[in-house]
Amino acid sequence: MDWLSTTRQAFWLLFSGDPDLWAIIFVSLKVSLLAMLIASPVAIGIGYLLATASFRGRKLLIQLNQGLLASPTVVVGLVLYLLLSRQGIFGSLHLLFTRKAMVLGQIIIAVPVLVAFTLAAVQGADPRVQETTLSLGASRLRTALTTLAEVRFGVMAAVFSAFGRVVSEIGCSLMVGGNIAGFTRNIPTAIALETSKGEFAEGVALGFMLLALALVVNFSLAFLQGEGGLR
Amino acid sequence: MAAGAFCAAALLQTLIGVALLVGMPARAAAQDLRLATTTSTENSGLLRAILPQFETKFHIQVHVIAVGTGKALKLGENGDADVLLVHAPAAELAFMAAGHGVDRRKVMHNDFILVGPSADFAGIRGATDVIAAFRRIADWKAKFISRGDNSGTDQMEKSYWPLAGVSPAGQPWYVSAGLGMGEVLTMAGELQAYTLTDRGTFAAYRAKSGLQILAEGDPRMFNPYSVIAVNPAKYPDINYRGATELSDWITSAEGQQAIAAFRIDGEQVFFADAQSR
Amino acid sequence: MNEPLLVIEAVTKRFGARTVLDLAGLVLHAGRSYALTGDNGAGKTTLLRVMAGLESAELARARYRGRDVDLCAYPEWLRREVIYVHQHPYLFRTSVKDNIGYGLRVRGTPRRERERLVHEAVRWARVEHLLDSPVHRLSAGEKQRVALARARVLKPRLFLLDEPTANLDTESRQQTVALIRDLCDSDGIALIACHDQEIIQLPGICRLHLQGGQIERRWSPLPARGPTDAGSAGENVRHGLADGLPLQPVAND
Repeated sequence: MDWLSTTRQAFWLLFSGDPDLWAIIFVSLKVSLLAMLIASPVAIGIGYLLATASFRGRKLLIQLNQGLLASPTVVVGLVLYLLLSRQGIFGSLHLLFTRKAMVLGQIIIAVPVLVAFTLAAVQGADPRVQETTLSLGASRLRTALTTLAEVRFGVMAAVFSAFGRVVSEIGCSLMVGGNIAGFTRNIPTAIALETSKGEFAEGVALGFMLLALALVVNFSLAFLQGEGGLR
Repeated sequence: MAAGAFCAAALLQTLIGVALLVGMPARAAAQDLRLATTTSTENSGLLRAILPQFETKFHIQVHVIAVGTGKALKLGENGDADVLLVHAPAAELAFMAAGHGVDRRKVMHNDFILVGPSADFAGIRGATDVIAAFRRIADWKAKFISRGDNSGTDQMEKSYWPLAGVSPAGQPWYVSAGLGMGEVLTMAGELQAYTLTDRGTFAAYRAKSGLQILAEGDPRMFNPYSVIAVNPAKYPDINYRGATELSDWITSAEGQQAIAAFRIDGEQVFFADAQSR
Repeated sequence: MNEPLLVIEAVTKRFGARTVLDLAGLVLHAGRSYALTGDNGAGKTTLLRVMAGLESAELARARYRGRDVDLCAYPEWLRREVIYVHQHPYLFRTSVKDNIGYGLRVRGTPRRERERLVHEAVRWARVEHLLDSPVHRLSAGEKQRVALARARVLKPRLFLLDEPTANLDTESRQQTVALIRDLCDSDGIALIACHDQEIIQLPGICRLHLQGGQIERRWSPLPARGPTDAGSAGENVRHGLADGLPLQPVAND
C-alpha cells in the first residue's frame, strides 16, 4: 500500500463530488452540531456552577466528571445500547440505530469535556471580576454571564475540544447508530468501514474531510465570537 | 444585553436543539426493515448490488446493520433487528432452538479459502484438504491470524483445529485478532501470515495485501447462508411483514438470480441455494 | 442633610487568632467624604470589603438610613447603594464605553439614556481619547479613572475607594484626586482608604484612623478655603501620619 498513491487517489475522490461521500459528511455535521447545540449551554452552566458554588458533594461531582473524561466512547456506546435496545429500559422509544441515538451518545460524550474546560476557565478567572460585577449591582446570573465572557477564550476552547471529540468519535456512533448506509453512517464510522474493506484511499479522503470540517466549524465559531459575540 | 435575555437565548438554543432532536425522523421511510448481517456479507458488496431491486419492488427501505455474526444473532435475540442474514449453522440452530427466530431458509453459499503469503512457509499451496493444511501450519508454527470474534468465519476456523489435532490457543504463532475480516486480511498481509477467509470478502478486498489463495475446494469449507426472521411472537411490533417479504424475495427465482448474477472482477462469488435441498 | 447615612454598629472580623477589626459605633454622614487611614495591614481594605458585602465577618451590623442591616447577609438592595472600587480595578475585556456603561446595562437603563450618561461620564473622567483603546493598554491611572467613572455613573450613595492613588505617578495621581473631589454629590458619601496626603488634605474631608482594629482619632474637616485650595497647607496645624497631632479633637455627633 503505497501511501503516496493512496493520498493522490484520496484527493481525486474528494474533488469528484461523490454523493455518498456528501451524505456521510452531512450525517456527521447534523449529528455532531445538534449534539453540541444541546449540550453546550447546559454543560457550560454546570461547569460554571461547579467552579463557583459551594455545596456538599461538589468535589465528588468534579472527580466524577474528570473520570468520565477518560471513558472510551465505545463504553458510552455500550451503555447507551443496553438502555435503548428493545430489551432495555427505553426500548419502547425505538431509538436504537437512529441518528437520535447518535446525538444522545455524543451529548453524553461532549458534556464532561465542556464541563471540565469551563470549570478550569472559570476557576482561573480573576477573583475581582465577580467582586466588580456584584458591586456594580449585577445579579448572580448576570455575574455568571460576565465571568464567562471574561474567560471566553477558555470557554471557546471548551467548545472546540468537545466538538473535536464528538465529531471524531467512532465507538459510540458505531454501537448505537449501526453504521447504516445513507442514514447513520458518519465520517469516522465510514472510515472504519472503508479501511476494513481495504479501501485506504477512501479512508484517507474521509479523514481529510473530517479535518476540513473541524477547521470550518472552528473558524466559524471563532469568527462569530470575535465579531458580534459576547460584549 | 440583559442577563435574562442572554440566558433565555442559551436556554432557547437548548430547546431548539431538543426540538430538532425529537422531530428528527426516527426512520427514514414509513416502511423500514432492519437487516442484521455479517461484515463479510456487507463488505462483499452483494447487498448493495441486489437490495435496491427489492426495495423498489416492495417500497421498503432496508437498513443494513453489519456486525459480527455473534452480534447479529444477539440483535435478533434482542429484537433490535427484524431479519437476519448470517452464515453460522451451529449458532443458527441454537438460535432457532431457543425460539428467537422463525422461518429459517437457505439462501446461498460460498466457500472459505485459506490464504497466505506468496512465500508460503508452510508449503500448503494447492492443498484441497483443509485439515491437513491446518496441521501443516501448526507443524511449521507459521503465523496464523484468527478472527477471534465468534463470527461465522471464526467458528468455522475453530472447528478445524480440533480435527487437525491442534489446540492453537495461546501459541505464539496463533494471533487472535478480534477484528473484522478486512482488518484481519490487512494484518495477515502485513505480518505475512495465514488466515481463513470467505471468498467474497477476499475478492472484494481492495488493498493489495500480497496474500494468495493457497488452499480451496474442500467440501468442509462450504459456507452456507441463511435468512431468519426474528420471532414476532416475542416482539409484536417488529416488522415481521417486511422480514417475510425479504425472506420470500431472496429465496424466489428473482432474488436467487440476482445473487447468482453478482460478480466481483468477473468472478461469481455467491451461489444461489434456495431451490436446492 | 447631616443625618447619619450609615452607622456601623458593630463589626468584628478575625483572621484565625488575630482580631483585625473590632469596631463599634462608626457614624458616616451624607454629603461628607472620609479618608480612612492606617498602617498597612491595619484592616482598611477589610473594613471596606465588609461594608461592600465582599467579605464576611464574625459580626457586622449596621444601620443604613435608619434601616437595620446585617452585612453578613448582604441584602441585594444595598448593593445598589454601595459601590466598591478595587485598588487595582478590574476592567472588563471590552471597550471603555462598555465598561462604564456596565452598571447601567445591568439596571436596564434604556439605550439612549445610557449613552447619554456614559458620554457624560467619559467627559467627566477625561477619557475621551481612550474610547478606542483596548482596555489592557490603559495605564494604571487611566484604569482608575475609568473605574471611578464606571462607579459614578450609577450615582451610588456610598463610594468605597480602596487606595485609589497608590502606585500612580504624580500626574495620574493629581488627575485622580481631582476626580475624587468631584465624586459625590450632596447626599452621598465617599469612604477612601488611603495614605495619600493629597487626599487627606482635601477640603471637606474627615479623617478616620484605623488602628488596633478600632477607629481612633477622628479629625473633622478643615474648613474649605476656597477653590484654589489643592495642596496648600495653611499656617494651621497639618495632618501628618508621622506626628499624628490631631487638629481639633471633636466629639462624635
